[in-house]
Amino acid sequence: MPPKPVPKTKPKRGIFHKFKGNLEAIIVGVKYFFDPERFTLVYPKEYTKLREGYRGFIVLIKDKCIHCASCARICPASAMKMIRIPQKDPKTGKTKMVMWPVINYQRCIFCGMCVDVCPTEALYHVPYHDVVYENLAEMDIDLESFTKPPEYKTAKEGIPVRYVIDEEKGLVKVPYKEGEEK
Amino acid sequence: MNWIELIIKIIIWPPLWQLIVLGLIVPLVVVIGILWFERKTAARVQRRFGPLHVSPQLGGALQLIADLMRYAFQEVIIPKTVDKGVFLLAPLTALVLSIVPLVAVPFTSVARWWPIPMDYSVLISLALSTVSAIFIVLASWASNNKFSIIGGMRESYMITAYEIAIIISILSTAAMTLSYNFVDVVNAQEGWKWFAVLNPLAFLAAFIGVLMATSGFPFEIPESENEVVAGPYTEYSGLLYGVNMGAAYIKRFVYSVLITLAFFGGWLPYHPGTGFLSGYLYPSIIVVVKATILMAIFSFLRAVYGRYRLDQALDFAWKILFPLALFGLGLGILEAYLGLI
Repeated sequence: MPPKPVPKTKPKRGIFHKFKGNLEAIIVGVKYFFDPERFTLVYPKEYTKLREGYRGFIVLIKDKCIHCASCARICPASAMKMIRIPQKDPKTGKTKMVMWPVINYQRCIFCGMCVDVCPTEALYHVPYHDVVYENLAEMDIDLESFTKPPEYKTAKEGIPVRYVIDEEKGLVKVPYKEGEEK
Repeated sequence: MNWIELIIKIIIWPPLWQLIVLGLIVPLVVVIGILWFERKTAARVQRRFGPLHVSPQLGGALQLIADLMRYAFQEVIIPKTVDKGVFLLAPLTALVLSIVPLVAVPFTSVARWWPIPMDYSVLISLALSTVSAIFIVLASWASNNKFSIIGGMRESYMITAYEIAIIISILSTAAMTLSYNFVDVVNAQEGWKWFAVLNPLAFLAAFIGVLMATSGFPFEIPESENEVVAGPYTEYSGLLYGVNMGAAYIKRFVYSVLITLAFFGGWLPYHPGTGFLSGYLYPSIIVVVKATILMAIFSFLRAVYGRYRLDQALDFAWKILFPLALFGLGLGILEAYLGLI
């Protein structure tokens, strides 16, 4: 048996309903005019302090890597790839090809699956995302620069801020203090 | 020295003073300030910053100068399909005709500093203020563009809706004072008996009517950006577009001056003397400041309201605003009969 249709009821409106609504809107406007709570991020002068666990750029710790290629296999955007690099084995002295992961940031969607899947925790995220590349070819990272955190300049010059949800005012921008909760 | 005296004499000649200085130069300065105020107010209410990066110390005020320069130096494109003569003349005529009502507006009570005799000034200025809207419709027709024509039709619908409300509500002050003379209307408000307080219905009708007349924000229907590109001004570019916008803002300024005189006591806390400074300059400044505050209130409403649809606005105009103006007229006549004024 289908549910019975419930007739929509209009809220009761008095004679002065429209006038009252207009007046309320103007009062809210005046309130904000005298006490504006701006949440625009003035970017180079301010930047959002990101929370711990933020999935930013990915860095490889070379010593921990066991060349298993799990990261390349799980990558949904095919951004992570394994490359073969000739390397000397210290025990036998023979040269053999070793696989290393590299990343292409043109394709990366920052899902963090490679970091999660890594059995030795050789990959980690850096907690920032504002890095500037001059051309597309630069975004295809080689092994040497994959082992170092990418350099960034702009965000270091500003004040760290954080957005919090206030009970009365909604979304509010507050300056971040060192040693605050995570 | 004779030259300087002559130039000063020409400048303070009442028709020139009122049409060029008070009608063109003062509104230009006021409009730049009001545009800045409008953008900053909308930003404050909507929790943004507005123009900021051009001059952070001045709150981004130089942004407006930059915009003005952009309009002044942009190329004026005249499309092949337009009716060229009318296309060029219509905005200029609208600009001139939007200033003209100031000729019948007294800025002082001294007869020496009036451009024309003020016996029927309420009627004359109201009649002149309605002319310029026709040329906006003409500009839209000459543009030969579907968006322009839709905008022009909307404008013509709006003209018929707002004109009656404004005229009746300002004429209610004439009914209250039993005189068509603006000087009598202002002098009757002696001792802070402002007609905005005595007759709030007529004031409200005139206020909303002016918002509709000048495409103020709840009624920004002819130029609504997301429906018809820029309404009647779609084909205009560069300086001609600036002239169109200037005409709209000067119209708003002139209506603000009319409302200031009719409802806010004009120059009144001050009593004009006979010389130029005390008899003409100071009262003019008082009237302009009051009109500017009124314009600021108009532009504050932009931050609060969304836009009405055309049918909603016309519905509002004919079913609420027009009766409101009539009630204002009735209230004015009643107050005059009871001798409250």
